[in-house]
Amino acid sequence: MLTSINPTMKAFAVLIPALLLAFTFDPLTPFIYLVFTVAVTFLFGEVAFKRWIVIFSPFLLLAISFAWMTMLHPSGAFSGGGVLFSIWSFKVTSESFWAGISLGLRSLSFAALSLLFILTTDSTKFMLSLMQQCKLPPKLTFGILAGYRFLPTFRYELQVLRQAHRIRGVGRARGVKERLHQFRRYAIPLLANAIRKAERVALAMESKGFTGETDRTHYHEMTIHKRDWVFVSVFLIMFFVCVFLSYQLGSLNIFGKTF
Amino acid sequence: MRWERSGRQNVSIKHHKPLLSVENFSFGYDTDKEPILKNLSFTIHQQETILFIGPSGSGKSSFSLCLNGLYPEGVEGYAKGEILYNETPLSTVQKGEINKEIGVVFQDPESQFCMVTVENELAFTLENIKTPREEMAGKIDDILSSVGLIQEKHRPIHELSGGNKQKVALASVLLLNPRLLILDEPTANLDPASRFEFIQLISRLKQERNFALFIIEHQLDDWLPMVDQVIAINRHGAILVEGTPEDVFYTEAEKLKEEGIHLPRIVETVLESHEGKVGETNRPLTEENLASWINDTAQMMNPIHRGNQASPPGVPGRSEVLSIKNVTFSRGKKSILKGMQLSLHSGELIAIVGKNGAGKSTLLQVMSGILTPKTGSRFLLNKKYEAWSEPEMRKVMGYVFQNPEHQFITDTVYDEMAFGMKLNRVIQDKIEQNVNQLLNRFHLISHKWSNPFALSGGQKRRLSVATMLDDTPSVLLFDEPTFGQDAQTREELMQMIQTLQEQGTAIVFVTHDMDLVDRYCEKVYVVNGGKVCFNGQPDELWKRTEILHEANLRSPFRIRIQQLLENLHLNDKKQGDVRAHANIH
Repeated sequence: MLTSINPTMKAFAVLIPALLLAFTFDPLTPFIYLVFTVAVTFLFGEVAFKRWIVIFSPFLLLAISFAWMTMLHPSGAFSGGGVLFSIWSFKVTSESFWAGISLGLRSLSFAALSLLFILTTDSTKFMLSLMQQCKLPPKLTFGILAGYRFLPTFRYELQVLRQAHRIRGVGRARGVKERLHQFRRYAIPLLANAIRKAERVALAMESKGFTGETDRTHYHEMTIHKRDWVFVSVFLIMFFVCVFLSYQLGSLNIFGKTF
Repeated sequence: MRWERSGRQNVSIKHHKPLLSVENFSFGYDTDKEPILKNLSFTIHQQETILFIGPSGSGKSSFSLCLNGLYPEGVEGYAKGEILYNETPLSTVQKGEINKEIGVVFQDPESQFCMVTVENELAFTLENIKTPREEMAGKIDDILSSVGLIQEKHRPIHELSGGNKQKVALASVLLLNPRLLILDEPTANLDPASRFEFIQLISRLKQERNFALFIIEHQLDDWLPMVDQVIAINRHGAILVEGTPEDVFYTEAEKLKEEGIHLPRIVETVLESHEGKVGETNRPLTEENLASWINDTAQMMNPIHRGNQASPPGVPGRSEVLSIKNVTFSRGKKSILKGMQLSLHSGELIAIVGKNGAGKSTLLQVMSGILTPKTGSRFLLNKKYEAWSEPEMRKVMGYVFQNPEHQFITDTVYDEMAFGMKLNRVIQDKIEQNVNQLLNRFHLISHKWSNPFALSGGQKRRLSVATMLDDTPSVLLFDEPTFGQDAQTREELMQMIQTLQEQGTAIVFVTHDMDLVDRYCEKVYVVNGGKVCFNGQPDELWKRTEILHEANLRSPFRIRIQQLLENLHLNDKKQGDVRAHANIH
């Protein structure tokens, strides 16, 4: 169901709450929003849990380390409150603890929102929609799509290059100087090939009548329906619901100000 | 292989005005240097088929881009003279307009697409020419069924075989309904059967759609039946000869050979058996005609010989240098090699053949030790691979990659050659001496201080082979050694390989070129679906039609002609029988 939402609208639905969340410094608001996002992902996104968790887990690690750093090195505004516990010379106060948790949850919310978008959006449709709804120039969108096709070939080529150099007897690089040298050796053929390929694709596109004009017909007409507006609204409203809830529970904190 | 000379009916059309005319056209990249194409003048008429040939690196591909107006605009280059389409100079036509009239299919199947799925790629073309949306679906289905890809409509292009990718490229160009179709070596990367299929498809579509064709190719035989006009350019980019295929190939054969241009094998066969003198009346250009020509001229001995016959296998004193037993290999969940068996003896030349994606290159990589198989054992000079140290193994085994550029690691040809010897701590004087010797042998001495990346295609290939020869290796592995080479460089390369073979080096090829296999190899391994489904002498393989068919192979030219001849004899005999039978009654 999420796959059929207009990609541009979906991008807005994800971006606006993410921006707004950046200003909520309490732990509760991002937590409720995180739960909401994950719930939507699994209820309407047809996303396999295994795939989701594989991509999500590095973010979890990142969020924990963010939180930990904030706890240990809080800014002046959050260093108040009683000391919860201390490690060596670091004292973790209750305020810095909650500030850390909040930051961690906020990063997780961003990650969950991004995953919701990435895992349910077809890259081709996203580009087509950006071109049709946001009037992005076709030269840019088709350029990105063509480049997108290159990524796997690039990886493959690097692998072949490594093998070829190994055959020549080039050992594993040791030390910074050798690494730099090796980087240069890989970079030249890779870049040479990439430029050649890019040129070929550009020529092939032009020879199929592509001129970059904005005036073109569309095979996949990307349209905005009522449900797209509903989708964006739900995500926005949900943000304010979270804010309201945490206000009711007395934990709301916007940009360092408590209410 | 039922081919009619479809092009010939168009001779009368020539009196009309030309579709495209090239007038004193020159093109170059650098204004300080000589142009790479010089004073070309010729015309292409409606529905005419032109074959454009020349040595590799002579600017043929650049020219194809000039013909559809992408060059010189799209590149830093300059052009002199004029190309007229329907009497309008290309330089004055609005951008994008000429591409609807003149379409191109390029050589590399990997870099012609900008969309992920077949359907979207075709839609891209239709969108470019502002086709109303309601008409698109119908047009996409039509073109897909006429190239035979309707089943693949929703598939991602990168999953298709090379042959099918080229068909998608063709289909998307045909959606423009071009009056002239340019083919820039479209079959160079395809396996033999896919290649033949593609050519047949072009021939059929040409009859249905009546476009003119401009074909750039190195391997000529299969195209010949539809060619009306041949234009050959020399290595300096000027027109060498021009005329009907009979005139160009039979009368001007010497000139072509001097420029290193491949002659069609049909022509080569006739010329060889007649020592260059052929009458004007009967100059065959199709395999059928060649067979009946041989039959008619009553050649007592079969004129189609093997060329340099490989020395018979089993010569005494040959020891096993490499063996692979029960090797399996998989990438992720996909198993690529399943129980591979292979053995290689010193001084042997074997080929590994099979369709695109059958696991040939993976097998070669496993043999070279750069990939480690999941199970199975590998022996090199009777010692387990695992027991070899990396530098020692590299000394006795060389590997030449498909793209020579991948193997270059230094800035000059000299350093490139000296690299391996320096690693092995050879003394400086000896290095100097060896490098000069090798450079001479591989005709690279004048490029000693050039950057390897600045060499021509043939020179790059020679250098990549030469870098493997600092010690005489026991095993030399080649991935598509003759890919993209013209007649001359290919010949040179094969000579070097044979010299090595005589010195006792065992050589393995991965190749699509069955004539190469037929001519040089003693043993051939057919890989299909990760297994060896045949190993033995090439002659045995040519008899196994079911294996050839399954592995997308095609018997070599020599065998095809022999079979045609046999059929002719059989028919003659049958007719004789019928006549005899009729006489009785």
